[in-house]
Amino acid sequence: MTKSNLSLVALGSLFCLMPLCMFDALRISLRGAAGVRVAVEAAVQVIARLVAHIAGQVTGLLKAILSVITTVMFTITLAYALEPAQAQAQINADAQTSTQLKDQPQNQSPASNQILGDAPTVQFHAWGGSAQVNGYIQWVSQQVSKQYNITLNHVKLADTSDAVSRVLAEKAAGNHTQGSVNLIWINGENFAAMKRHNLLLKDWANSIPNFALTNPSRNPAMITDFGIATDGQEAPWGKASMVFYYNHRFVEKPPLNIHELLAFAKQYPGRFTYPIPNDYLGISFLKYAAIALNEDQQGLLYQPVTDTALAKITLALFEYLDALHPLMYKQGDYMLRQASQLQRLMGTSELLLAFSFTAAEIPSAVNRFDLPSSIRTYAMEDGSLANVHFIGITYNTENVEAAKQVVNFLLSPQAQAKKQQLAVWGDDSVLDFSMLAANDKAMFKPVSHHVSAINKEEAVPLFAEPHSSWTDAIRQAWFDRYGERF
Amino acid sequence: MSVFSRFTLLRSMTLFQRITLSVRVLLVLLLSLPVLAGLVGVMLPAFGYFPALDAHDFTFTVFAQLLAIDGMGKMVLLSFITGLSATVISVASAFLLLAVFYRSAYLNKLQTWLSPLLVLPHAAAAIALLFVLSPSGFFSSIAANFSNILSSIGTDEAASVGGASTLLPPMWAFPYDSYGISIIIALALKELPFVFLMAITVMSQPHVKRKFDGYFKSATALGYSPVTVFFKVIFPTVYPQARLPILAVLAYATANVEIPLLLGPNNPPTLAVAVVQWFNHVDLSMRFQASAAALLQVAVTLVALCVWVVGEHVAKYAQGRFYSNGFRHTGQVFSSLLAYAIVAVYAVIVLSIIVSTVLWSFATFWQFPAFLPAGLTLLHWKTTLWALAEPFNNTLLLATLVSGFSVIVAIMALEAETVSGHGDHNSKPTSYFNGWSGALLSLTLFLPLLVPGVAFLYGLVWFQLAYFNEAVWFHLFISHLVYVLPYVFISLAVAYRKFDPRYAQVAYGMGKTPWQVFVNIKLPLLLAPILVAFALGLAISFSQYLPTLLSTGGRIATVTTEAVAAASGSSARLTAVYVIVQTLMPLLGFVLAWWLPTVCFNPMGRYSLLQTRKSKL
Repeated sequence: MTKSNLSLVALGSLFCLMPLCMFDALRISLRGAAGVRVAVEAAVQVIARLVAHIAGQVTGLLKAILSVITTVMFTITLAYALEPAQAQAQINADAQTSTQLKDQPQNQSPASNQILGDAPTVQFHAWGGSAQVNGYIQWVSQQVSKQYNITLNHVKLADTSDAVSRVLAEKAAGNHTQGSVNLIWINGENFAAMKRHNLLLKDWANSIPNFALTNPSRNPAMITDFGIATDGQEAPWGKASMVFYYNHRFVEKPPLNIHELLAFAKQYPGRFTYPIPNDYLGISFLKYAAIALNEDQQGLLYQPVTDTALAKITLALFEYLDALHPLMYKQGDYMLRQASQLQRLMGTSELLLAFSFTAAEIPSAVNRFDLPSSIRTYAMEDGSLANVHFIGITYNTENVEAAKQVVNFLLSPQAQAKKQQLAVWGDDSVLDFSMLAANDKAMFKPVSHHVSAINKEEAVPLFAEPHSSWTDAIRQAWFDRYGERF
Repeated sequence: MSVFSRFTLLRSMTLFQRITLSVRVLLVLLLSLPVLAGLVGVMLPAFGYFPALDAHDFTFTVFAQLLAIDGMGKMVLLSFITGLSATVISVASAFLLLAVFYRSAYLNKLQTWLSPLLVLPHAAAAIALLFVLSPSGFFSSIAANFSNILSSIGTDEAASVGGASTLLPPMWAFPYDSYGISIIIALALKELPFVFLMAITVMSQPHVKRKFDGYFKSATALGYSPVTVFFKVIFPTVYPQARLPILAVLAYATANVEIPLLLGPNNPPTLAVAVVQWFNHVDLSMRFQASAAALLQVAVTLVALCVWVVGEHVAKYAQGRFYSNGFRHTGQVFSSLLAYAIVAVYAVIVLSIIVSTVLWSFATFWQFPAFLPAGLTLLHWKTTLWALAEPFNNTLLLATLVSGFSVIVAIMALEAETVSGHGDHNSKPTSYFNGWSGALLSLTLFLPLLVPGVAFLYGLVWFQLAYFNEAVWFHLFISHLVYVLPYVFISLAVAYRKFDPRYAQVAYGMGKTPWQVFVNIKLPLLLAPILVAFALGLAISFSQYLPTLLSTGGRIATVTTEAVAAASGSSARLTAVYVIVQTLMPLLGFVLAWWLPTVCFNPMGRYSLLQTRKSKL
C-alpha cells in the first residue's frame, strides 16, 4: 500500500510539474513583451525561474525515478517471493540429488562390502521425478547388492538428455574406458541420438539370459525403438500398451480386432469415438488402425515415411475411417479434444467402448466412482500399440559384466513382477507370459484382482511404434481429409 | 476554462489534489495503453510483419489465406449469430421481466435471486450447464424416466437395450450441437441477470425514480395498464442509459472463448475459439493466421454492434406509432404470460443446475436414468481441495492485489472530479462523463469491454514477452487490471455521485485540507460502497480465464484455469467441485462486503439512529 502510494507520488510529480513549468514561462514572457528592458529582465527572470524549476524538477524527477525503481524492484521481489513453488521444487531437487550423493556409501550393503572386498559399482542414470520409480530402483539396488554383490547407484536425472550429452562430452574428451554413466534409461529420441553417435555398447542385449523371455521374435516392439532397430544396444525394461475398456452392463462381447470394432460401431451407433489426432491418444488410435489394417505391408511403417508409402498405408486407413466416422459419437461431427473426455463419457455411459494407454488408471477410476463398476478392460487380439522403454549400456562402461548382470536382474520375472504391482509402480512387464514357467507366472498374479483391471496373464501381440516420421505424416493426412478440428 | 485559469487552479492545489488529478490520467493510460498496445501487437503480424519469424513486409496475403480456409464463413456466422441472438434474448427477457414485475412485490425477490447469478463466472455457468444439458444429464433423466413409466404402463415402447430394463443415455444434439444453441442458452442465462440488474440500477437512482413514479401515476390515471406504461413511457427513458453496458454484453457474447470452448461445436468452432487454437499452435507461423483471425473477430464484433445500433433505429422508427396509438392494454396478458414463463424456465434451469452440480460433487456411482446417485462421498472434495491449495492462493493473492489497486486508483480518479470545484464549493459536479475528458474517460472505461479479449490480449502478451519476459506476475496483474478497473470505477462512481457534498463543505469551512476531508470524512462514509467495489473487483478477477492463461502461459494456475482444464478432464465429479469452489469464492467476497461495514464502521447506522431520536424529540 505504501509502495503504491509512493509510486503515485512519483507519477504525480511527473504529471503536475511539467505543465506548471511550461505555463509559468509562457505567462511571464507574454507579460514582458512591453519593452526591451522589461523583456530582458523578464527573460532573465524566466531563465532564472526555469533553472529553478528545472532544478526542482530534476530533483523531483530523480525522486520519481528512484521511487519508480523502488516500486519495480518491490514488484519484482514480490513476484519472485510469490513464485516459491518453482524455486522450492528446484531446491528440493538439488537437495535430493545431494542427499543421494551423500547417501551413496550407505546404499552399499556394508556387510558384503567388508567381507567380499571390492564390490563393482554400476552408475544407473535414470529420470528421478517419480517417487514410485525411485522406490523401485532402491529395491533393485538392495537386491543386486544382496544377490550379486554389485553396488547400484541411482543417479536421478531431471532430463535424460543430460546424461546423453555427458557421455558425448566424455567421448569427445577421449574417456573411452571409465565412463561415469553405465546404465541409462532411454527410448525414442535419446536412443536415436546415442545410436547415431555410437555412444552405446553394441550387441549385448541378446547375450542376456532373461532377454529371451521377452520373446523378441514374436514381439517386434522389444527390438524396435520408435521405428529404429535396437541392434542389441538396449534391452527392454517396461512398456505401456494400448488397452480397450467397455461397459459390461450393455456390451456382452467387445470387439477383438479392428474389423470387429467397425461391426461394434454398427451395432451400437454413436457409442464409440476417438480424440482428434492433436491428442496423443488420438494419433495413437490412428497408428493402431494403420498397422492393423495393413497387415501385408506393415514393414513400410517402420521405415521413414515417403509419399508412396503414405498413400499405400492411408488407402485402407481412410476407407475404414470413412465407414467408421458416421457411426461414431455425434456422427463424428464433434470429436473430443482431449483423451480424458473419453473416460468422462464412459462414466456416464454415453460411450460404451474406449481406450487408454495406462491400464492402471481404469481400476483406479472405478475406485473413485468415475467409471461404473461394470467396466472391463482387455487388449485387442490383433495387436496392441506398445510403447516400450529400454535400458542401455554406454560404450565406455568399465564393469560391463556387472552392468549386464543388473540388466539381467531387471528382466527377471521376480523384478518384473515387482515392478508391475500397482502399489510399487504399475509399469507393465516386457516378458512374454507364454515363455514363463508356471511358478514364475504365479508371481504376476495381483494380490487382489480388480474386476475392472486388465488380466495381464494373457499374452497379447504388440505393435511397435511406427517410425517417428509417420506421426506427423498421418496426422497431416487426416487433417487434409477430414478438416481441422479445434 | 481557459489555460490561465486552469493554471491558477493547478497552482492553488494541494499535493493530494495534484496526485488525484495525475491518477485520473493514470487511469486512462492504464486502461487504454494495454488495449491499444495489444491491438498493435496483433495488427502487425496480421499484415505480415513479425520480425521474430523473419517477416518484414507488409502484405495482405495473410488475410487472403485466412479467408481461403475451409469453414471460415461458418465460423464467422456462428460467432455472429450466437452472440447476437443470445443478446437479443437476454435483453428482451430482462426488459419483459421489468415491465411485468416493475410495480409488483416480486421485483425485490427477483433482484435477490438474480444477484448471486451475476457473480457466477461464465466458465462455471458453462460447465454447470454441461451437467444438465448432456444426454446423461438431468433433463434427459426426466425424459427417460417419463418414457420408462409410459412403457411400463404399456402406452409407449421405450428403447431398451437387449431387452434389459436399463436405459442408455439417448443421443440428442446437446451439448456441442453444430448450430450453437447450447452456446446461446448459456450466454442468455448468464447475461439476463446482468442486463436486468443494470436496468434496475438505472431506474432506482433517486431522481429517476421520482420522475418514473410521477409518469406512472399520471399514465395510470389515464387508464394505461402497468405493462403498457412501462413499454410506452419508462422503457424509452431507461434504455439509452443502459445502452453501453448492453453493447458490452453484445461484444462479449460475440467474442468470448470459454462458453463455446466448453459447449460449442468444433467442426468448425466459433471464430474466437479458432483464434485461441491457432495462437497456441506449436507451429509459430500459425501466428499470422491467428492475428488476422483476431482482427476478423474485431470486425465481426463491430458488425454485430452496428447491426444492433441499426436495429435500435429501426425499432425506434417502427415504434413511433406504438407510443401514440392510445391503446391502453397493449400485450398486457401476453407479456405477463411470457414473463411468468421466462421466470419458470429460468428457475427450472438454475435449480437443476445447482442441484445436479452439488449432487455430482458428492456422488459415488450415478447411472443414467437415476435421479439420485447411488451414494454420497466426500472423496472428491478431499482430492480437489488438496489440489486446489496453490491455485487458490494464487487466485486470492492476485485478486486482492488487483482489486485493491483498482479501488485506490478509482477513488483517486473520482476524487479528482471534485477538485475542479475547489474554488467554489457550491458547484457540485453533476455528471462524471461531461465534457471531452469525461467522454474520453467513459470511452476508455468501456474499451476493454468492447474490444474482444482474443484480439488484444495476444498482442499484449507479445509485447510482454518481448520486453519483460520474467515478470509473470506483473503481466498477470496488468491483464487482470484491464478488466477489473472499469467495473470497480463504475461501481464506485455511483456512490461518489450520491455523496452529499455538504459534509465536505462544512469540513472545508472548518479549515480542513482536502486530504483531511478525504481521509476523515469521505473514506469512512463511503466505506460500504468501497468494500462492495472491492468485492466486485475480486469477483471479476476470480472469473478471468483467457487473460490468466495468456499472460502467464500456464505458469500460474488459478481456480478458474484449473476448473476449465478439469471440465475437459476425466472426472465429472471433480469438475463439479471446481465449479462450486469457483462460485463460492466471489460470493464470499460479496458476503464480506455486506458484513464488514456493519462491523467495522457504520456511520449511516448511527446517522439514522440520530434521525429517529430527533424525530422523537
